[in-house]
Amino acid sequence: MVKSWLGQAAAIGILTTEFPRRPADPEELPAAARAPGAGPVALASLPPEVRAACPTGAISLTEIDQGKCVRCARCLPAGLVPAPDASANLGSRAGLRWPDGRPPGGTGPAPLAELGPSLHVFLVDVGSCQGCNLEVMGLANPYYDLHRLGMFFTNSPRHADVLVVVGVPTAAMVEPLRRTFEAMPAPKAVLAVGACAIDGGIFAEAPGRAAAVGEIVPVDLYVAGCPPAPVAILEGILALGRRRSRGPAP
Amino acid sequence: MIGGAGLLLLLAIAALFGGAPLALVDRRLGYAATFLGSVLLVIAALAALDAGPFTALSWTGVVGEPEALHLDALSGFFALAAGLVWGATSSYSLAYDTGPGRSLAVAYALTLGAIAVLFSTSDWLLFLAAWETMTLAAYWMILEAVGRPLRIFSAAFVFLAFGEASTILVALAIAGLYDGTGSFAMTSPIAGPMVSVVFVAALVGFGLKMGVAPFHMSEWLPIAHSSAPSNASAVLSSTLTLAGVYGLFRVVALLPDGPSWWGALLLTIGAISALLGALFAAVSEHAKGLPAYSTIENNGLILVALGISLIARSDGLPALAAFALFAAFFQALAHAVTKAALFLFAGDVERSVHTLDLSRTRGGTKAADPVASGAGVLAALSLAAAPPLAGFVSEWMILEALFQSFRFPQAWLQFTGLLAGAVVALAAGLVLVAMVKFVGFAALYRPVRPPNAERPRGLRAPIAGLTVLVAALGVLSPWILTALAPTVSAFEGARTAAPVGSLLAIPSGWSILSGSPSGFFGIISPPALLLAFAIGSLPALAYFALGRRGAERRVPAWSGGRAAPPPSETYTSFGYSTGLRLMLSGFLGTREVRRASSPGVSAEIATPLSYDVDLEVLDVFKSFYDALVRLVLWAAEGTKRAIMPGRIGRYLTYILLTVLVVIVYVAAAFPGP
Amino acid sequence: MSRPGWTEVAAGRPPGSGARSLAYVSPEGDLALWNDHEEHRTLLVRRPELSAEERAVLGNWRAGRSGPAVVSVGEQVHGYGVFTFPYGPVAMGVAEAGGFEVRTYGERILEIEPSVGHKRRGIEEQVVGKTVEDAALWIERRAGPFALSHAAAFRFAAESAAGRPVAERELGVRALGQELQRIYNHLHVLARLAEAASQNVGAAQLNALAESALRALGATFGHRWGFGALVPGAPGRRLDAPDRTDLEARLRRLGSEFEALGETLLGSRTFLDRIQSTGTVSTEDALRWGAVGPTLRASSVAWDDRLRDPTIPYREMFVPVVTERAGDALARVLVRREEVRGSLLLIEQLLDRWPRLGGGEAAPVEAIEPGRGIARGEGPSGDLVYDVRVSEGRIRSVASRTPSQANWPLVALSLRGAVFTDFAFSFESFGASFAETDG
Repeated sequence: MVKSWLGQAAAIGILTTEFPRRPADPEELPAAARAPGAGPVALASLPPEVRAACPTGAISLTEIDQGKCVRCARCLPAGLVPAPDASANLGSRAGLRWPDGRPPGGTGPAPLAELGPSLHVFLVDVGSCQGCNLEVMGLANPYYDLHRLGMFFTNSPRHADVLVVVGVPTAAMVEPLRRTFEAMPAPKAVLAVGACAIDGGIFAEAPGRAAAVGEIVPVDLYVAGCPPAPVAILEGILALGRRRSRGPAP
Repeated sequence: MIGGAGLLLLLAIAALFGGAPLALVDRRLGYAATFLGSVLLVIAALAALDAGPFTALSWTGVVGEPEALHLDALSGFFALAAGLVWGATSSYSLAYDTGPGRSLAVAYALTLGAIAVLFSTSDWLLFLAAWETMTLAAYWMILEAVGRPLRIFSAAFVFLAFGEASTILVALAIAGLYDGTGSFAMTSPIAGPMVSVVFVAALVGFGLKMGVAPFHMSEWLPIAHSSAPSNASAVLSSTLTLAGVYGLFRVVALLPDGPSWWGALLLTIGAISALLGALFAAVSEHAKGLPAYSTIENNGLILVALGISLIARSDGLPALAAFALFAAFFQALAHAVTKAALFLFAGDVERSVHTLDLSRTRGGTKAADPVASGAGVLAALSLAAAPPLAGFVSEWMILEALFQSFRFPQAWLQFTGLLAGAVVALAAGLVLVAMVKFVGFAALYRPVRPPNAERPRGLRAPIAGLTVLVAALGVLSPWILTALAPTVSAFEGARTAAPVGSLLAIPSGWSILSGSPSGFFGIISPPALLLAFAIGSLPALAYFALGRRGAERRVPAWSGGRAAPPPSETYTSFGYSTGLRLMLSGFLGTREVRRASSPGVSAEIATPLSYDVDLEVLDVFKSFYDALVRLVLWAAEGTKRAIMPGRIGRYLTYILLTVLVVIVYVAAAFPGP
Repeated sequence: MSRPGWTEVAAGRPPGSGARSLAYVSPEGDLALWNDHEEHRTLLVRRPELSAEERAVLGNWRAGRSGPAVVSVGEQVHGYGVFTFPYGPVAMGVAEAGGFEVRTYGERILEIEPSVGHKRRGIEEQVVGKTVEDAALWIERRAGPFALSHAAAFRFAAESAAGRPVAERELGVRALGQELQRIYNHLHVLARLAEAASQNVGAAQLNALAESALRALGATFGHRWGFGALVPGAPGRRLDAPDRTDLEARLRRLGSEFEALGETLLGSRTFLDRIQSTGTVSTEDALRWGAVGPTLRASSVAWDDRLRDPTIPYREMFVPVVTERAGDALARVLVRREEVRGSLLLIEQLLDRWPRLGGGEAAPVEAIEPGRGIARGEGPSGDLVYDVRVSEGRIRSVASRTPSQANWPLVALSLRGAVFTDFAFSFESFGASFAETDG
């Protein structure tokens, strides 16, 4: 059996991406997973129907809120263009608000935790569609191979450095999320992944939504997308680990 | 002429028995008397071990036998162990026995007195009388269980039934001894064709009292010992079984070198007892049933050690024989003290949580009373053979003796020894499971109901005292074993020419050696182990004393994001050992019984059907005894119908026939002039 | 009810006593669907009468509507040493916000109740008043891995309510998306099972195949989970010849790797030992509790909604219905494996006749007249039902019965009497999703 496993592995070859050493390609970051930004068009000159068509009200006259955007692509025909790289999906809550539809300059969020580059990650779902869960867990598959970067998923928050939160917090999950964060040893960091975890996404007005993740636990970094592509999530986890060694996150 | 030690012994027996009438006046007075008697007995026993045998009193018995109350190194050893235990149980009883009646104290004093006489008699007839008194007094003691639940009557009856069966066989063994020697004296060695009969009768008779397989009859000993009040349980499980051990050793000491199968039989029975005792202890859910099963295991180990000793002796391996005897004696001493501590502690737990049912507590890491719980943990650790405690030393010695069975000349004996070694090692593992359970659910626990705050304060000092003794016995074992040399000589002396002191198996200095005259086999040093533990734990202690305690943050236990569930809905002690129940279902006869507890129509799912589930374990020997009971009942019924139908004519015929038979016999046996 | 495929019968209970299972009851209780497994048709009954047993089935479908609740299969166990072992809602073994209440005396699961409703977002309430196109954004985000089957069934129901026919090309797009997502889901379930059995090489390869299925979806529809894939005029929905060639090449590679992998994985004794006779669902239980999808087919009931009333493209293509008899986790694995093959075959046939599919693009549904439509579709974990009312181009109400809701009782039953370590093998083999259950 060992022989056949090896034979198959040899036939398949190496699948693992070279990200983050080189930028993500369209295979890894399809157009729909990219952050839409004002390209040649100024936000103010967009026809009002475009703003009205946005299901989450992410586009205003002055800014695009990437945290609210669910990547439904309704605005793209009107002249908005997807951002080129994965890190455009990352930022503090304020950093995801793009004035005039362009990424804000300057530094990222202030570091909250002192974490080294080798991180143990615990996933908590507070009311997702399961898409973000699967994208996060998918980081362990041979294409992304989280382990090559010295990172691992853990089965208990007791062993975790990074809490990845996905979904829109329902009433039933507010306390479990708080308890999970409490159960983690310090130093620790929280990564909110996906539009639901940032500002409710498409479910911002849903009757089942109880709170924003940021109101329950302190969030260090947000990854925008619905769901974000695995490379964007990977970029987010890497950014948390990079803080101490290489300065602030993007 | 009564010497000082003899006077002490007499006073001790008088005080122990005197506790009974004194208890009628005041319960506390009775226990105080037995406490005094125990202390005197310990001093007298030490004198016997140190200065040699002495006689306290001698007289001529009813059948013209010279009778005496005396102690030698062998009986002195057992009296010492018993006295130590009783000192603790008597002072414990002062605080524990708050029941309405005084009869428990009376029965208690009678039991102690009877056992003391049993140890100090030099004559088999008085031995038998003491044996029977002890059984009856113990029966009474069991009946004094708190609240006298209905099941106590059947438990006590089963105890009595096995006790009487034991008496009959002991009487048979004594008859055999008398037949071979023409004397009831305990000093007359026996030879001749009856020796094997005496051996088997003694083994079965005393084995019954020790509760070893197959006479544990699906927990008669655990049920009886655990149903009794806790001070009585401690006396029963530590010293009543010790009386059985003493009787067996006494008889075997008088026997010549027997055939190899004696030893092999002891090994087999001992190993099976150890395994079954350990297994049932591990699945017991009763805070006193668990230690009671462990008693079976420990008595099994004593038999194993004795078995190795007998085989080694008849095969010309005196060093191994002596070493195994040392192991047996040390095991008896260690077990008596430790088990008493555990039972007394269980009584304390019962006072706190109102129950002995382990499923009514939940695992925890906190102790209600650090002193008592610490003592309970230490006693359980000793039984689980944790170094450097007493139980560890005896277990190590027994395994060392078993490992040397390769020295036996016959292959089948080597194989038996090897197999027994494997079984004993397995039992040791299972005992560890049992004791972890005891520690986790009885010593350190979270109560399901709020604990009783008004616990008698006097309970913990005796428990702690016994536990200090357990630790001291372990750490100081090399010197204690040296002091036991006279006991081994007293047992071996009758037939071994070589003085025990010259054997290499004797512990020397700081360590215990096992081996042969040509070289040592194993070595261990409990004091050095203690030293190593102490040094090894220094960094941890220093860390906690000086370390960054400020960085500590306390959070609730992780429970999948839920609030901590109430204790009633967390892991049970039953759950802890269900793995064993399922894995060893063949041994345990595990079966699941389901009973619908609310009427429900299975087709109508809307009415929830609720059912009770019970995972029962069954002793394989139980079915044998059940069959025996059925046979007896069937025979009794048949006898009643066929022979005693209740017709007066039939009975007159029987009388006539009997008279005829007697006349014919007399005419034939005593022919006239 | 313009979409045919079911037989309407009078009020009360459907006649006959053949093998039949309840498929749907509307929230108002005014109509119900029963699957007639012998005749392979669906019976629609107005003003239905439900037996006590069927009401229990219905209660479990609706569990968790207002906060966390348990799915119960009727029996309650007590006994000496029995306690409740809580699992979840935060546990990596489930990897979703959902839990289980396990009654046990240690080691063995005496009874297990899935705890659902933790993720209840209230999607069906929220879409009321929205246009069909807007509502689809919410509906497809109910459960990411099943987005396309939900979006398709919802659209079919809305179109049926509006009395509007669906163009052939549109049917082709929906079929293509659903088959791709079926492949992904089956691969994902197999990967989870291989992970549970510590078949790490196999799990890595299956996870890689699942990722390549996601990438194929992403390349075809622009979105890895198919969100927005069925929106009229969505980018990347027009499959030109180079796109079809690319997709064919991707799937051919996936297929050949899957074949080799399937041989090796199912040749592994350690893997088979863990899933054989684990989590067995009897045919009787499956029918009584209304099991659907691979769960039902693995318990020897041949029911596949794609064949009940085949439309284009299924009508013209070979659709294999896979059944197994044992009803255990292995049977469900075998069914899923065959269905991956079947879906690959279907896509191949579909892409062949793609240029010949007529009808062009679908237009947004803008019904003015009030109408009601019920549509079913065969999702990866089983068939789902959408019941939609529309008027003036707006949604008036949405109700649904999802495969996850239908299969929870079987998850609970299959684990009864199992040891703890069987949990993962049984649970994962059903492919049940808390997100899809809670809505």
